[in-house]
Amino acid sequence: MVGFIILAVLSFASAVGVVVARTPVHSALSLIGNVVTLAVFYLLLNAEFMAAAQVIVYAGAIMVLFLFVVTLLTAGKEERERPESLAGQRALSGVLAVAAGVLLAGIAVRDSAGPLVTRFSAGYGSLSAMGRVLWGPDFDYLAVVALMLLTAALAVLVLNRRAEDPRPAAAKEDAS
Amino acid sequence: MISAVPVGWVVGLAAALFAVGAIGVLVRKNPLIMFMSAEMMWNAAALAFIGYAAQWHQMQGQLMAFLIIATAAGEVGIGLALIVWVYHRRPRLDVDDVSEMKG
Repeated sequence: MVGFIILAVLSFASAVGVVVARTPVHSALSLIGNVVTLAVFYLLLNAEFMAAAQVIVYAGAIMVLFLFVVTLLTAGKEERERPESLAGQRALSGVLAVAAGVLLAGIAVRDSAGPLVTRFSAGYGSLSAMGRVLWGPDFDYLAVVALMLLTAALAVLVLNRRAEDPRPAAAKEDAS
Repeated sequence: MISAVPVGWVVGLAAALFAVGAIGVLVRKNPLIMFMSAEMMWNAAALAFIGYAAQWHQMQGQLMAFLIIATAAGEVGIGLALIVWVYHRRPRLDVDDVSEMKG
């Protein structure tokens, strides 16, 4: 119980750090902390494979990509966010999001089914159990994930294809 | 150990993380920070799935978390490509600048 509270406070604090950080680099570092604490949660919830996948995919791949883009776009620049053009939008959206979160968390805690008493079957959450699900009854999901990642990779290629000459056509004629 | 913790608390934490991510998406204007907040919302959903998977001893819950991580990976690739693409055209990280499709 104490471990849960410590981990929950850590992950919540790093989540708040993502939102309130001044620069995107600080946001990215807080998000890495958030991802790692969630991986520890997965480990404690008998999801060994998902904990490993979380660390490898999120902290390893996604966050490195994020940090790369952040340093590419914001190196040496300090930009203040401009004031809101819609009056009261920030306050209203913040209040609504907090209300939604409190409502959801309240429902979850109220309808809690109590702690676990039965024991997990051997190998629950391990790599082989995950593989048996993915290659057995739920193979469709694996196929769809493969298709989706392939489509995403193709989409990135298509998006980068036009980036080789960002100047509009008029500017190009002026240059020639 | 965490098995002494009711599953509702885990899901409650997931809801709190989801709300914090929603605040980030709604309040911040830097597209990179908005995107990271959206990633946090994905993560919160995955935590809820894994919490209930442990509650009901169902591997399918972890399968859904696997789908979430895979979707997030694809989404980050496309989203960051879009952000870089927009940045090459208007070098200021502010979503309010991108308003050509305003109705």
